[in-house]
Order: sequence, then C-alpha cells, then structure tokens
Amino acid sequence: MKTTTRPLKILATLASAAMALVAASTAIAQEAAPAVTPAAAEEAENLAYVKCQLCHGPQGNSISPIYPALAGQKAWYILEQLQAFRAQTRRDPYARGYMWGIASNMSDTQMAALADYFSKQTPFASAPAPFVNVTAEVERGKSVYNEGVPANGVAPCSACHQADAGGSDQFPRLAGQHASYLIKQLIALKSGSREQIVMNGIAGPLQEPDMKAVAFYLESLH
Amino acid sequence: MCAHPAQALPLFARQTGMACLACHTNYPELTHFGRMFKLQGYQLDDGKDIEVTSDEGKQLVSLPAIPNLALFIMSGYVSLGKALPDSGIPGALSNKDGIQFPQQVSLLYGGKIAPHFGAFAQVTYDSGPDTFNIDNTDFRFADTRILPNKTKLTYGVAITNNPSTEDPYNTTPAFGFPYVPPEIAVGSLAGPVINAGLAYQVAGPVFYALWNEQLYAAFGFFRAAETGSTSPGNPITGSPAPYDSGTSNVPAGNNPYWRLSYEYDFDRYNLEVGTYGSRFKIYPGGGNALSGLTNNYTDVAGDFQFQFIGEQHIATWKGTYVKEQQSLDASSALGLSNPTDWLSYTSTDFWYWYKRKYGFTLGYISTKGSTDPIAYPSAPTLCAANSCGVAPGTPGAFPVGVTNSANSNPTTNQWITELNYQAWLNVRFTLQYTHYTKFNGGTTNYDGNGRNASDNDTTYLLLWFAL
Repeated sequence: MKTTTRPLKILATLASAAMALVAASTAIAQEAAPAVTPAAAEEAENLAYVKCQLCHGPQGNSISPIYPALAGQKAWYILEQLQAFRAQTRRDPYARGYMWGIASNMSDTQMAALADYFSKQTPFASAPAPFVNVTAEVERGKSVYNEGVPANGVAPCSACHQADAGGSDQFPRLAGQHASYLIKQLIALKSGSREQIVMNGIAGPLQEPDMKAVAFYLESLH
Repeated sequence: MCAHPAQALPLFARQTGMACLACHTNYPELTHFGRMFKLQGYQLDDGKDIEVTSDEGKQLVSLPAIPNLALFIMSGYVSLGKALPDSGIPGALSNKDGIQFPQQVSLLYGGKIAPHFGAFAQVTYDSGPDTFNIDNTDFRFADTRILPNKTKLTYGVAITNNPSTEDPYNTTPAFGFPYVPPEIAVGSLAGPVINAGLAYQVAGPVFYALWNEQLYAAFGFFRAAETGSTSPGNPITGSPAPYDSGTSNVPAGNNPYWRLSYEYDFDRYNLEVGTYGSRFKIYPGGGNALSGLTNNYTDVAGDFQFQFIGEQHIATWKGTYVKEQQSLDASSALGLSNPTDWLSYTSTDFWYWYKRKYGFTLGYISTKGSTDPIAYPSAPTLCAANSCGVAPGTPGAFPVGVTNSANSNPTTNQWITELNYQAWLNVRFTLQYTHYTKFNGGTTNYDGNGRNASDNDTTYLLLWFAL
C-alpha cells in the first residue's frame, strides 16, 4: 500500500499547484471579459449560425468529432481560447488551420458574447466511436480520470476538472466531449505543440492508450 | 466540350482568413469543413465586410471589403506513347509531344455576395480551342435551421451550368477524378452524358438539403443554355438563342438531376455512400428540327468516398459507377445509331499525401458500352490535306484511324498514376502517367489502321498554381 500512497500524495500536491496556477491565469482572462449586452448577444447568435455552425453546430453540438463540442462549455474558457487563437498563442495544428483565421478579426466583445452564447446551450450526448470496445475503454478511462496513473506519475483529472467532468471557474468542462478531439488535444499538449503550462506537465507522462481510455470515458459522460 | 476541374481558391483563404487545408485535403478535394462551407453558400468571412444599413436599421448590403478574385494557371507538357499519323502526308507522323503554355488560365470569383447568397464562378481561357468560356459555376442561396428535434438542417438552391456542380463530394463528375486530364491526348469514343457531357451547355436550379451534416438530398432540372462560341445561336435574329436546327445536341425541356448521399464521420475518418443520376432528352439538331423525336439518356450512378485526415498523413479512396441507358429514338430514325445503346463508367482512385507535400495517386477508369456499327463506324477515320473526318471518296482522302473503333465498340480502360509535389499549398507539380489497356474496343490495332491502345498512353508534366 505504501508504494501507491506516496505517489498519490505527490500527484495531489501537483494537482493543487496546477489549480493555483490555472486559477491565477483564468482570473486575468475573466477580468478582461467585456459585459455581454443584448445587442452583442444577438450578434453572437447570428455569428454562431453563420460561422461557428460550420464546424461546431449552431448550438455548439458538433457532429463531426474532429471539432469540439462547445455547448455547455465554460464561458471563460471559450473566451480564453478565442483570445489565444487571435493572438496565435494556441498553436496546435487545427488551431492554426482553422481558428487563427476565424478569430483574427473578432473583437473582445464578440468573443465574450459568443462564449456566453455557447456556454448557455444544452450539450448533447456524443455518438460513441465505432470499431472500439467502448465499454472496456470507458471502465479503464474512468480509473485514469479519477485515480490517475500513479505508476507513470499521471495525476487524476478529476482533481481539477471535477468528479463529473463538468469543469469549474478555473477548469474547462470535458464531459461529453468528442473522444477524437480530446485525444488530439492530449497529444498536442504532450508534444507541446499546444502550449498550456499545466496540461503540458500533466499530459507529459500520459501514454497514448491511457489518453484514449480517458477520452472515451469523458465522451460517455453527459 | 471538356470540363475543367474547379480549384482550391486563394480567394477563399483571403475571405475566410483560413488556410487552404481547412477546406481541402488536396485541391480540389474537399474536407468535411469544405463541404459544409460550400453547402452553406460560401458565407464564412473574415469579419471585414462593408455593411450599409437603412435608417430603420435594416441591412441593405453586406459584402466583402476586397473582391474575392483569384487566378488559376496551369501549364503542361504531354508526350504520347506513339506519335499520331500526319493528317496531311500519308505515312508520315506528327510530333510526339506538345507543350501548352499556358494550358488553362482561369479567373475566379468565389465567396459571399450577400448574407445567405454566395457564388463560385469561373471564366477559363483554354489554349486548346483558344477560347474563353464559362467554367463550372454555381450561384447559391443557403441557410441553416435547427429543427424541433434539435438536429441541424442546411438547405438551399444552387443555379449551376453542369449537373453535379452543386455537389459537395468529389465522387460526382463535375469535380471528380481525374482532376487534371491532359488536353493533348486522344479522346475515347464515348462517355455518359452526366459525365460533363453537357457541361456549360445547360443551366438550371438544384434544390438541396443537408440534414445533420449527414444526409444530403438534391433535386434539380437543367435546360439548354447559351454556350457562346460553341453554338451559332439563332441565325435569324443573330441572338445567342433561342436555338434552332443550326445547333447540334440541344436538350429538350426540363431534364431532371437528382442526388442522395449519406456521410458518417468518426475519429479522423469520414465515409460517404451515395447515388445520383439524370435523365436528358436531347434533339440531335445539326440540320434537323428541334421537335419530334429525341434521344433519351437515363443515367443512374452509385458512389463512395472514404477519407482519412491526419496531421502527417492524408488518404482518400473513392469511386463511382454510372450506368447509362440510351434510347436513341431520334438518331436511329435518322439512321445515325442503333435504336438503343448503353454505356457504363467505373472509376476508382486512391490518393495519399505525406505532410501535404508529397502525393501519390493511383486510379482506374473503365468505360464500357454496346457495339453500334452506325454510331461508332469501324472504318478508319479519313483525312485529306490536313482536314480530318472527311467523307469517303473525298479527293486525296487517306486513312489515319486513331479516333474510330474497328469493332464499333467504345470500351476503354485506363490506369492513371501520379506523383505530386506541392512546394507550397498553392503551387503544385504533377507528373502523371496514363496507360490504356484497351481503347475504343481494342488492345491492338483498335482502329483497323495499326494503332494500339498503349500508343495513346500519356506522360504529363504539369505545373499548376493559384494566386
């Protein structure tokens, strides 16, 4: 038992440190968020139906698993990502190919209104991936999510993203997200092509089978 | 007429601020996003539109600040397997190869015109006939709604000049394989009407709907349209239309076109299966009245596309099969063909790209058809003093063959392979080799004048770029 207790403690400490770091950075983003006026909200809904829906669906429930679902995502997180796309500081391949262009001329007001709009939409359940023994993956993924992978020094995801993966004021919602998208992001975070100081560290020791398992588990949540 | 491939457009990149790779695996093949962008009426913009509103706050205009124009240029070198017979000197040969510089120059407009209304329009200079013509063009209105059951419906109407131009997949003829056939090549005898057989000679609306980014249905109809340099128009008024007996192959009335497909997206893959078809009634014209009997072409096709889009590797496998029944009431009454004929067209192609830089393609196309000694004469084509297709008995006429079929059958089978190098996303070098295992019904001496199918093989080096 001793062999597992100590790593868990270290992981818990790491997770706490991560929470503190992220809390500090999100506090900055939240301070910068402009108020969403009724006119801005109306424009955002129009933007969602004209632009965002091509990938994410008009109400943030993307159909192709290449694109993340946005419905129900935390508004602060959507705003922070949009600002990162515009500043070109989020640099993973899909960000460069798609979102840099989309966000390039968006104002903070538009971004905040869009973030607010999508955060208020009802998330749908994702369709399960075909050709995968999802049940087995989900079981294993649940363990990775809640307990981490102590042998590899992987912290439990639930420590930050909440037990129900619904996110918080500091951490994004993961529940119901497409597994394919989550896996891509974990790979990008592990390789550093997507820079995020906390997740770069957490994804570092995460092995690809564990990424897949936890992604399928999160996709199954709703 | 030959159909020109539509291209990836830097103008779309300018309009949307997005890289070409968002819409294309390799141009002109579209990704899932590219398909959505097209069906949505090319509405995405970079947020810099010029907008004017009335005093009541009603939007009067919303158009891109910079016109979405682009140039697309292709230059090519083609070498035939064996030189063609000389058309003026019996027994002599023509040059074995040729350069087209440029082969094609297209001026394109693509993108948003107004909210919910967009266009993809292309005017092409073609060095073959040395003419400008309207290429694949589509004006469309589109919108998206959420249905009561929370699923998504995109719907619209596209006015196009070539059946299947409205379609978002690269399995249908307008934007299908092969994307860039060499123009300096021997054309085979026959192909289904829906395979660009009436491209730019017809126009019409196609109504479509896409449910939940998965189920796509379209229905439209096409009528004869003015085609500029290829038609004499109306000789009495001097107007480009209405047509009369001076024009050949004029579609009669409304000719239906339909399409149904289903796409399934999972992980980084997407699979599409579908069906499409058309029924065209065509007056032979060309000295015969545009009334009475018509030639009727019924095309029914199936298609599939399987795409994998990774960050390093991209692969696509797709294919289509078309079966055309021809009820040639008009031609047979004039003694120009069998009463009925049929054609089938099978095409499949595989593409692989590494880092969007190095590409490999392998494709196979087979056209089969019924034997028709009247429509496909067995006697070798005749030339006299550099004028070909002359009637037997013309002074100085001698046989050259090449374009006829000794057994009056149009069956032609070809393999196409390509190596591609994409120096930048808008600059591509293509080396293409086409090998015919059968041409116009035969493998050896298919024209009765000593030419073999493989003599029509082509080696094609192409530079294409867009700006």
